[in-house]
Amino acid sequence: MTYHRPHTLQELQHMLSEYGNNMHLLAGGTDLLVEARRSYFVAKGHIVDIFRLSELKTLSEDADKLVLGAGLTHDDIAHHPLIQKFASLLSAACSQIGSQQIRNRGTIGGNLCNASPCADTVPPLMALDAELELLSATGSRLVPVRQFFEKPYRPRLAENEVIMALHFKKLSAQQKSAFYKLGRRNAAAISRIDMAVVLKTNAQKRIEEVRIAPGSVFPVWQRVAQAEEYLLGKEANQAHFKKAGEIVARRMIEISGRRWSTPYKEPVVAALTKRTLMMALTQKKSSDT
Amino acid sequence: MLKIIGKREKRVDALGKVTGAAKYADDYNLPHQLYGAVTYAPFPHAEILAVNLTKAKALPGVEAVLMAKDVPGKNYFGLIPNIPIIAENRVRYYGDALAVVAAIDKATARRAAELIEVKYKELPVVTDPEQALQPGAPLLYAQGNEIVHHKVRKGSVARGFAEADFIIEKDFSTQSIEHAYLEPEAALALPDEQDGIQVIASVQNFYTSHKVIAAALNLPLARVQLLQSTLGGSFGGKDESATLLAARAALLAYKTGRPVKMLNSREDSIRQSYKRHAYKLHYKWGCKKNGRITAMEMKAVADGGAYCSMSPFVTWRSVVQATGPYHCPHVKSDVYAAYTNNNFTGAMRGFGSPQVNFAIESMMDELAERTGKTPLEIRLLNGFENGSLTATGQKLQHTVSLKQALRKAAEKAGFEAKWHAYAAPGNRLQTKSRGIGLSCAYRGVSLGAEGVDAASAVVHVQPDGSINVAAGIIDMGQGAQTAMAQIVAEVLGVEMQRIRFLQPDTVRVADSGPTVASRGTIMGGGAAKIAAENVKNILIKTACETYRCSNEYIIFENGTVYCLAGKIRKPLCEFDELAAACYAKGRPLFASGTRHIAQTSWDEETGQGNAYFTFVYGANIAEVEVDNETGKVDVLSFVSAHDVGRAINRSTLEGQIFGGVAMGVGYGIMEEFIQEKGFPKTINFDEYIIPTTMDVPEMQAVIIENPDAKGPFGAKSIGEPALEMVAPAIINAIYNATGKRIYNLPANLEEVLLGRKLRRSAPRASVTCKINAGAKGK
Repeated sequence: MTYHRPHTLQELQHMLSEYGNNMHLLAGGTDLLVEARRSYFVAKGHIVDIFRLSELKTLSEDADKLVLGAGLTHDDIAHHPLIQKFASLLSAACSQIGSQQIRNRGTIGGNLCNASPCADTVPPLMALDAELELLSATGSRLVPVRQFFEKPYRPRLAENEVIMALHFKKLSAQQKSAFYKLGRRNAAAISRIDMAVVLKTNAQKRIEEVRIAPGSVFPVWQRVAQAEEYLLGKEANQAHFKKAGEIVARRMIEISGRRWSTPYKEPVVAALTKRTLMMALTQKKSSDT
Repeated sequence: MLKIIGKREKRVDALGKVTGAAKYADDYNLPHQLYGAVTYAPFPHAEILAVNLTKAKALPGVEAVLMAKDVPGKNYFGLIPNIPIIAENRVRYYGDALAVVAAIDKATARRAAELIEVKYKELPVVTDPEQALQPGAPLLYAQGNEIVHHKVRKGSVARGFAEADFIIEKDFSTQSIEHAYLEPEAALALPDEQDGIQVIASVQNFYTSHKVIAAALNLPLARVQLLQSTLGGSFGGKDESATLLAARAALLAYKTGRPVKMLNSREDSIRQSYKRHAYKLHYKWGCKKNGRITAMEMKAVADGGAYCSMSPFVTWRSVVQATGPYHCPHVKSDVYAAYTNNNFTGAMRGFGSPQVNFAIESMMDELAERTGKTPLEIRLLNGFENGSLTATGQKLQHTVSLKQALRKAAEKAGFEAKWHAYAAPGNRLQTKSRGIGLSCAYRGVSLGAEGVDAASAVVHVQPDGSINVAAGIIDMGQGAQTAMAQIVAEVLGVEMQRIRFLQPDTVRVADSGPTVASRGTIMGGGAAKIAAENVKNILIKTACETYRCSNEYIIFENGTVYCLAGKIRKPLCEFDELAAACYAKGRPLFASGTRHIAQTSWDEETGQGNAYFTFVYGANIAEVEVDNETGKVDVLSFVSAHDVGRAINRSTLEGQIFGGVAMGVGYGIMEEFIQEKGFPKTINFDEYIIPTTMDVPEMQAVIIENPDAKGPFGAKSIGEPALEMVAPAIINAIYNATGKRIYNLPANLEEVLLGRKLRRSAPRASVTCKINAGAKGK
């Protein structure tokens, strides 16, 4: 196995075309090194290390958009003032991934590529309607995050492609957001259930816009359109949020079927939908609840 | 006036551990060493029909492939010697080894282990210990699945129940858990020049491992030397499992004539190692309206797993302590252990007490509720006092400080006021409600009537006054070496810096039994004190002769030797000068000391007797917050009060207490080693979850000192008491917060929300999808 470290995007593009079908991309390594003992891993010939590629670590903004380099670590994102200001649900999610050591190494691009159903960055990116910029030897293309996943652990990423950046619109001051993670312990936890929401209400407390994106709930991520539609135009309050939660739980069972975990997840998905919507409405962090 | 005892002295092993210079077993390497690997059983219960080693042996780089028939001596060991170093004819659990391989590198060894072809006949599996004892259950052994049945009979429970105003009867269960020591099992074995063998290993009970290795190789004990490396945790876990690995490495080294290294991966460690016994418990108490207990009856069945590790002793401690530190004239206790096709189970911090304490302390809170008393009142009403008679008829002839511990803990935590406030219905209706819970326990110190209780130590004062200490009690992180060094320093009146502690070695100190049962300080420290006193006698003799001072007036303090004349202390010389003077007179300052305590008795039939030579007492209080919508429990704060007899080192003592609380939080609310039909499901730390720093509560240690006549400077125990009553304090706090009682540990998300466990019916997506997605991936 040969180790390569491109210094520029151009070098990376060259390597993608050269080794595309016979390589592993190494970013933070928090997933890859766990896999390194498996036989399929050693079957490949090359490792391309993109962790120190500065072009993947940029963050830029214009009047209404943020563009995040895919090589930003969870810790970078958790603490970046622009993300805290314009996409606080994403920084909240990144601050709760794994442990501090994992957050120092793991990248947002890597989290997407690993495509685990419990990846904590995906629900906020779904709620932000983010787009992914995919780079290959021949150029780049934009793909909405909601179309990026084929099934668990299977991203729609060609062998010679890499996620270069994430694009999403800044949340306005009226668009409140919240993220909630439920794990079996308070750190280094695999999420049992994640919930990311964006909520906008008008002066009469009527809901003008709402996005509900759960994690560890569906085999492939999706927002819950039925619950969102139900809430539109209604007053933002506990009772309506509770009903929306029940719709999310019902959709989970319709899509995933009744599984071993359903007796637990059914009431809890409903409760956490309500809770996260209330957090957005009252602008509380999960640590305050 | 004690100078060193009770102080926060720096640990003698601190420097190596913080600089990284400490050498754990895997840090030892030798030129030309081979690596060992194991072929594990693919089924939890099967007959081995045929084994084909051809392919494995033909792999270039393979130096040895050994099966059971290649073991020159005894292949079986254990209390009931049925644990095979390499399985023969039959496998009884998923961690059994069929063959061991040595090869020039790890990858080749693993590959060879995979190339061994075995034909099996699968056998029916039994995994529930109660079912295992039923007629018609699949048998693991021809003589039946019962490992042991212990009884305690006191008074007449029939009479006790007849006198009762009401009866409380409940069932409980506790789970199997993994020790989760940070350092997995490792060993390096090397043949010596005289047809003997040396083994450096991460083992907890190295005298036992020593005997097993010698017997397996058919060598005299004197030709096998076991050196214990610095241990990265054990918690009772590095007994038989670590012995298995060390013995296999020794076998391979002996066969190949080359050094052999073996190191368990985390998966192999969890797959193979023994666990804490899961228990099913049934409790029935007869009580008076005023809260007095009139009869206590209990039955428990422990899952012993595939082999007999410590089951007879673990369940014996359970039966002795089965009814807690409470007065009761009529007691009937029965504790069984049964073989199943699960991982075998053995020693783990607590050793049979955490299971019964969970049930006893839950029952106590139920009794409090039925009689309108607070948890504190009911315990103060029924708890032991000086001179009380235990369930086994033992009269407690030391300071019985149970009520002192209860009162101090309650005061520290503000228990009564909080308990009343949280029990209010308004609190329980909130999304997140708080609760506070109390538990207490007593514990027999050291081995008790399990067996011979003796330990040795060696103190060697060098001619320059520096000191080597060696002991048969080992340090697995708990601070035993520091405690023993402080005792030696106190006796000899010198500074701690003079002492260099030596790593345990079977040729250095006589068999001191295992470092278990919270006996390190009381037995090992007792031995170190005697050894130091023996050396001191030589020093005193020399000082008397040299300085013409009567022996009763000689004082050793801060490295100086004084003669007491009236109220005046006259300095005679420095400690190192006196040491040199001793050697000049042909009196080497080398002495050993042995502490032996034999004041226990036991009658197997009635379960009556003086089970332990002394006991310790403690009380714990947990404050929790329960998320009533998700079942998530956060332990917010914790008070842990213990009578330790005498604090030798306050820092290591607090370390033990805080570590015990952290471990108990895991046992109480999250940890579970899950097996399905004998297949382990949680074999790494992604799924076997233990508390992180973020899950550990704010903790306060309350140290109570009632010096005990049997301990060095009055010291008793803390290692296991620190853990054994943590879970019930949390469970009682959950009840206080929610009004719902947890009867089955752990109180995880599902148990708290639904009152039951849910089990994954399909493999985790990451396992199947990643392997299928495999080649594609990233």
